[in-house]
Amino acid sequence: MSAEMELRSYVLENYLFTDDQSQLNNEDSFMDKGIVDSTGILEIITFIEDEYDISVEDSEMIPENLDSINNLVKYLEKKKA
Amino acid sequence: MDISFIDHFYRVCNQYPDKQAIVDVDRSISYSDLKTEIENCTLGLHKRGVKKGDRVSIYMDNSIEFVIILYSIMSVGGVAVMLNSAANFSDVENWVKHSGSSWLFVKKLQEEFFAIRDNLTSDLQLVSLEVSGIGLDTLVFSDLLKEANGDVYKENIAPDDAAVIIYTSGTTGDPKGVTLTHKNLLSNYKAIVRYLELTSNDSIVCVLPFYYSYGSSVLNTHLMVGGTVILENNFMYPSLSMQKIEKYGVTGFSGVPSTFILLLKKVNFNDYDLSTLRYVTQAGGALPVTYIDQLQQALVNSKIIIMYGQTEASARLTYLPPEKLTKKIGSVGIAIDGVSIQIRNENGMSVDPGETGEVYASGENIMSGYWENNEATEKTIVNGWLKTGDLGYVDKDGYLYLEGRKSEMIKVGGNRIAPGEIEEVLSEIDNISEVAVVGISDELLGQIIKAVVVLSDGAELNAMQIKAYCKSKLATYKIPKYIEFVDSLPKTASGKIKRFKLV
Repeated sequence: MSAEMELRSYVLENYLFTDDQSQLNNEDSFMDKGIVDSTGILEIITFIEDEYDISVEDSEMIPENLDSINNLVKYLEKKKA
Repeated sequence: MDISFIDHFYRVCNQYPDKQAIVDVDRSISYSDLKTEIENCTLGLHKRGVKKGDRVSIYMDNSIEFVIILYSIMSVGGVAVMLNSAANFSDVENWVKHSGSSWLFVKKLQEEFFAIRDNLTSDLQLVSLEVSGIGLDTLVFSDLLKEANGDVYKENIAPDDAAVIIYTSGTTGDPKGVTLTHKNLLSNYKAIVRYLELTSNDSIVCVLPFYYSYGSSVLNTHLMVGGTVILENNFMYPSLSMQKIEKYGVTGFSGVPSTFILLLKKVNFNDYDLSTLRYVTQAGGALPVTYIDQLQQALVNSKIIIMYGQTEASARLTYLPPEKLTKKIGSVGIAIDGVSIQIRNENGMSVDPGETGEVYASGENIMSGYWENNEATEKTIVNGWLKTGDLGYVDKDGYLYLEGRKSEMIKVGGNRIAPGEIEEVLSEIDNISEVAVVGISDELLGQIIKAVVVLSDGAELNAMQIKAYCKSKLATYKIPKYIEFVDSLPKTASGKIKRFKLV
């Protein structure tokens, strides 16, 4: 499964409580749409650190990296490059 | 002479006209401009019929506009009903209805707000910060300010007049709207200003919502000394707050346990110049001692001030003087100016130092009562003393140590949640025959919600389906984090659920 699909499944199951793919657009802002709160972001960070064997640095904890599926995918690509 | 909080604030505006009062993401405002906008808004409210004692609800995140609206409501003699912006529309409707609000300020109008208005038997004026979504008989906030014609309207306010109402739970049957008077607020804020030694040189990054008494106290104490409040609405990205402390040379920072745990886990303090940070305050639940130690090590030049309070006490009851932090480990400190603390047993009698009982508090900061809920008020305020529902003891030096809660309320982060409200929603699901909701310990949030569920015979239901139903009915912070399926609930001989067995 691609990182995009894995991330989508994780967010859908854990924060939107559904497997209906239409409930989440890749560009949806987690913050603006109220999808996750601050503890949710922490959980997402733990998830990507465990799943993709990376370490999210303090300076990388910004909306541009973490606030949507698209941003997460781009961030992961950058980290793995 | 007694003056109201708002009168005190106007004096500060005249004293520091050019100083920045509030800094938001895209704009900042000086004391002089803030005063002008509040006067304009007050006049607008007055001209449109808001009068002394009227309740006006605010349902939005922290912003400069929030402060203008809040202070204008107080100025016109109204009562500001500060609603949890994370609450769902059903809670908002209950609170607007219960408080008898005649106005509701929101950030953006959505169809649900029109439904709330239509469901009420009395008139409700909807006001939106944003123009989009405006409908029939609604107002845009900026239009309200246009009423200004140089006149100033200012209601005479008595110390015992109600200033704000803050709802601490959302249950339909037992709404608890903590009603705080101008005297409550002013006496508590003055005491806070004294022990934090706040002056006009102070500034703070405020990550706490104003609809929490803790957040309001941060805002109001700074604005009553001529300090600066820098807004940071989302603590999802803690490094942004650290950047603001560095950028603005901030002197104070306030948080709840999860704020500091998140900071300690995810922020490298050495990456930022935090040399201006004079103090940090922590309230809203117990921060484990290990994190207090880490905080001290990370912020060697800042005072760490542990505090305890309740919405019913305006905000604050006790504080631990920073020099006692390592001597009175685990204590929430001594009563602040104007507050008395007693520990009492089941019979309401005061107990000796070292003996555990319920924490009682008295002082000018204690609420006048729960709005339109005499029964709850009489249970909570006994002969002028607030029964906090917290258990604890006082040592021989008068320092308070908390040991837990007497009530079944669950406290997730800063939110108090009645288990019954969640159980009621879960019981609506067809295939659930029995359910009990409890709070379980969580390192970050203090407690998180667990639902223990008994399914009907042969029924199939998974945790995601249950949570999805909760999401349709409850605010996000009330959705159980864990769902445990069991064959039966442990009960006493009389059939009462043994909740302690479920934790």
